[in-house]
Amino acid sequence: MLQIAFDIGGTFTDFAVRDSETGAVTVWKVPTTPRAPADAVVNSLRKKVSEGGLVAQDVGDALHATTIATNAILERKGSRCALITTRGFRDVLPMGRGKRYDTNNLHLDKPHPLVQRADIFEVTERLAPDGSVVTALDEEETRALVGRLASGGYQAVAVVLLHAYASPAHERRVGEILRQLMPDCMVCLSSDVSPKYREYERASTTVANAYVAPLVDAYLTALTSSLHQLEIGASLSIMQSNGGLVSAELAKTGAIRIVESGPAAGVLMCAEVGREEGFDHVITFDMGGTTAKLGAIDDGVPAVTPTFEVDAVNYKKGSGLPLNITAIELLEIGAGGGSIARSKMGLITIGPDSAGAEPGPVCYGRGGTQPTITDANLVLGYLNPGYFNGGAMNLSEGAAEAIERTIAKPLDLSVEEAAWGIHSVANANMERAMRIVSIERGRDPRRYAMVAFGGAGPLHAARLARALEVPRLIIPRGAGVGSALGLLVAKQKIDLAMTSVLRVDERAPAAVAAIFADLEARVREQARLLNRSGRLVIQRSASMHHVGQGYEIRVDLPEGEIGVGYDEAVRAAFYEAYRREYGYNDHEAAIEVTDWYVIATVEDGRTSVPMKLDVPEASGSAVTGERLAYFPEAGGMVPTKIIDRYALRSTDRIVGPALVEERESTTVVLPGDTIAITPAGNLMIEIGAA
Amino acid sequence: MNAQTKVSRRVEPVTLTVVWNSLVSIADEMGGALRRTAFSEAVREGEDFSTGLFDKDGRLIAQGNFTPGHLGAMPYAVANVLKYIPPDQLEPGDTLCTNDSFLGGSHFPDFFLVTPVFEGEEIIGYVVNTAHHVDVGGAYPGSEAVQGVTEAFAEGLRVLPVKLIHKGEFDQDILRIILGNVRLPDKVRGDLFAQRNANHVGAERFRKLVRAYGRDAFENIIEEILDRSEARTRELLAALPQGTFSFEDQIDDYGPNTPPIRVAVDVTLDEAGVTVDLSRSSDQVAAGLNCYINYTRAYGSFAMRIFGKIDVPNNAGVERVIKVVAREGSFFNAVYPAPSGGRASVQVRIFDTINGAMAKCVPERVMGAFTHWGNPKIGGVDDSGKRWIMYDLIFGGFGGRSDKDGVEGLAPVMNCNNVPIEVHETNNPVRIHQVAAIADSCGAGEFRGGCGVRKDVELMCDTATVVLLGDRHKSQPYGVFGGGAGALARTVLVRDGEDIDLGSKEVRQLRRGDLISFRLAGAGGYGDPRKRSAEKIKRDVADGYVSREKAVELYGADPASLTS
Repeated sequence: MLQIAFDIGGTFTDFAVRDSETGAVTVWKVPTTPRAPADAVVNSLRKKVSEGGLVAQDVGDALHATTIATNAILERKGSRCALITTRGFRDVLPMGRGKRYDTNNLHLDKPHPLVQRADIFEVTERLAPDGSVVTALDEEETRALVGRLASGGYQAVAVVLLHAYASPAHERRVGEILRQLMPDCMVCLSSDVSPKYREYERASTTVANAYVAPLVDAYLTALTSSLHQLEIGASLSIMQSNGGLVSAELAKTGAIRIVESGPAAGVLMCAEVGREEGFDHVITFDMGGTTAKLGAIDDGVPAVTPTFEVDAVNYKKGSGLPLNITAIELLEIGAGGGSIARSKMGLITIGPDSAGAEPGPVCYGRGGTQPTITDANLVLGYLNPGYFNGGAMNLSEGAAEAIERTIAKPLDLSVEEAAWGIHSVANANMERAMRIVSIERGRDPRRYAMVAFGGAGPLHAARLARALEVPRLIIPRGAGVGSALGLLVAKQKIDLAMTSVLRVDERAPAAVAAIFADLEARVREQARLLNRSGRLVIQRSASMHHVGQGYEIRVDLPEGEIGVGYDEAVRAAFYEAYRREYGYNDHEAAIEVTDWYVIATVEDGRTSVPMKLDVPEASGSAVTGERLAYFPEAGGMVPTKIIDRYALRSTDRIVGPALVEERESTTVVLPGDTIAITPAGNLMIEIGAA
Repeated sequence: MNAQTKVSRRVEPVTLTVVWNSLVSIADEMGGALRRTAFSEAVREGEDFSTGLFDKDGRLIAQGNFTPGHLGAMPYAVANVLKYIPPDQLEPGDTLCTNDSFLGGSHFPDFFLVTPVFEGEEIIGYVVNTAHHVDVGGAYPGSEAVQGVTEAFAEGLRVLPVKLIHKGEFDQDILRIILGNVRLPDKVRGDLFAQRNANHVGAERFRKLVRAYGRDAFENIIEEILDRSEARTRELLAALPQGTFSFEDQIDDYGPNTPPIRVAVDVTLDEAGVTVDLSRSSDQVAAGLNCYINYTRAYGSFAMRIFGKIDVPNNAGVERVIKVVAREGSFFNAVYPAPSGGRASVQVRIFDTINGAMAKCVPERVMGAFTHWGNPKIGGVDDSGKRWIMYDLIFGGFGGRSDKDGVEGLAPVMNCNNVPIEVHETNNPVRIHQVAAIADSCGAGEFRGGCGVRKDVELMCDTATVVLLGDRHKSQPYGVFGGGAGALARTVLVRDGEDIDLGSKEVRQLRRGDLISFRLAGAGGYGDPRKRSAEKIKRDVADGYVSREKAVELYGADPASLTS
């Protein structure tokens, strides 16, 4: 049986096909078709089928990572939608939380709203924090309102009532009226999409869901039918932000959950590489053209966060739209190959703006005039001007001149020193991000391996590993199609969350049991819509804090029956997590849970055969020549070995400095580090081993 | 970058960049640890705290990017506490503490914790943080009342510098004194713990950073950072039109039946840098509203950071160029025991007044006046006997700007999140009836001001005290360059169906069923309303921010073009 995976990115659409018996994996990529993203997928698959490279009937699984939801939000091209809320609270969404994302900027704006104030309506009703009814829903008024909305041209309506996390009754009744009077309109209730307290964040999530749902629905329906036309009868699964797959059917009901689809799949690939090489603890480092993304895998499982922010300005926290969705934890900063370097106040600054793909770095020769990180890497000799992107592109001469003009002269440095400055300031920015992901979140980098991918990741990874004392660095095979490979190892997964504020004391276990019974029943109900059957493994967790604190930490809770003494286990889990994060415990302060979570994963019993990638054959010596490259510890520009990754044999052990070239990237190996190719085909770098 | 900033090169640019960024990141990291473990709403939602790193001589070298309110106090924090407890009396693991208004944050709720960083026996620097505690005792809940407080002695506990933490552990005797004097001891205790933790995190990283470069090299780098900061600030200010720019505005009063407080500023830009002088303002008052000089410095300095577009992080080098002064004994340089609990109410006016002055200097950088903000505290004992304080932050609008409208519901000057309705109702015996933009309250303009905001809160227990901290009940937020003023604010107590107007800084007893309605002013507009684009006018009417009538009256809109 075959599994096909396809990841539609901004520039390329990546494919991977795996034969589940032999483990053989074929990968390829085609340019993305931004106006109709499914076209690239369907056309490429049709070509494969007609050329005999793929037998449609053999395909058992179609796995997909998509940017459709993200792009709809970033480009503000989602549905026309309305919001219905509690009387008196029309402005909760437009006003937001009030904090400026930059204290020292009074000329900033809020994110452009997904729904205009003119499209926000109120109904008379009110619940108390415990879900009891203070004012009953005025049904007559609601019917009249919906009657007016019916002629408003809305494709979706979000319903967000105060305290609906505590009782969905009023929202459901409004939903029924909507479905009755506006049968063609999508209805999204906050009590379904995100039953958590804090009304602004819940409203933001529910509205974002309504905003993307009609598009996601139409897209997945069309894609499914296209696959059927190719006689690929496989069920279609979609990657969610949480790193799990769901059926297309389920994805349509919670469309906002697929917003970070592609990056999540990339982290899964890193987890798989870690597993192949025997590392449970992995820091993931993905550096592309515009940003760098850092994540972590603990005990083989990618770390997740209960909230996510989309459309942030310059990657600044608090500038985007908050979403209450579980997402694989990724810290994104404005440091990619295309990030622009400048001199200011006698210092070097980088980004957050990027030259992007057009015009791109100066060395692309497409009209770029401002030097970028990629230009610096070329001047430093790290990049091969004649073998960029597998030889598809020749890098031109302008880089050194641009660096000289804008950095070297103003700062009174040589061109190499200036390029080195750009490279190392970029590293310092990423080191700061990595410190947050690791040390600040209780992870000791000395116990972790780093998996680096993306076009620019392997150029910078070794320095980062050194700075944080990460002992091993892995550059995976097929790093250029990392997210597609990640899809092949993903599992079917659902997560649910709800708010119920509860003091953790000896009276708690009964209430805790009732909460999890409810969540687990709902997750089992949804699991019937997944594309695979198997044992459902349910993991519990909770957001907790000391009574009176405003921020919670997420804590995994024990499995099994919840009876007398469960509160003791909950407390113990909290203390451990709290100590890991903040370094101390306070046993006198009472503890409270605010939000409850279950994550259900389908264990379908399939044992996966290790993946064997088809890579270009190369013979002869792995060392193909040398060129000058900059290593300050070796005295500056020094002759450096060039290694053809595809010619590396398992017996080769090479000591840096060296440059390992492959189609999608170049790996910089520092003096004193050693490289070897592993049986699985990954490049393993031991930091400081020589 | 032009040649003026090329100062002497003692440190190569890459090292300088990396160390500078690291210092700022350490200060930010301390703030992260403090906020995430804090208990009081002021800290965790309001980010009313600050962090700083100092060199061994007590000079500020980096400050976290949090509220501007401590920009003024932070640079002097270390020098001030060391006057009481000199460095030779400090040991590893010690932390000093003060909440004095003059030495620290200008009112008692702000506790400063100062921790020396040791390498072996020697002090290599200091890490400091300050946080706004929910209550420090005194006459009324929250310790920030204006009315009925004539001397600082009624504002709660005053702690002159003491060694609060010894060998990493709290001095239990001092802690007992502090917690025995406050309304919510659990929260105060939790926040002091969070503050200790923030300094612990900062000290560890500070020590590692100094080790990585060596002490001599590190000290060289610090000199370079301070010199460059000073040079850059000078360069940016020198590029502005030079001269003295003046403006006057006012604060409503300092409690019911009191006169307005005059706020007058003279901003002088010359070869020495900039001097912001508030001496012509009123004298200090016998009510909990006065500003000690640290607070005046904070917002004066913040305003010049905005109007000068100062793009270097704050440190002692920047402070050499921006001077903020006020006559001793005046409202903006009050002398102990002047009460100052409610001084937070004044920050927006300090900024607005400097904004008015700078309109003549940098018209494209100023804006219409803010709507002010509401910072009421409601507190008492609920039906179950639990003591509670609801600390609230209500934001109105930004004034119109030179190329865009103001905004609704964004934090003015200081920078905070509001507290969610669902969180307030879960924690306190209150029901909130509405939070809404007030139509037509915005000052008209080519770029209109933001609308005022109305928030109605009902008391759901027998009795409580409300301590009001608002303004602009008596003078409208002004517009600039032909822009209109915003509508006046009101605070209304609805009792038994009757509306009772309250003063902006009143203290009132409430009873069950009372509804208190905060109605913030609108913000000032920027430029001639007749130049406003037809499309924007139409959008405002459709969104309900501006009525059809006002669109026609103030903007000259064609009624036929408007839908509503």
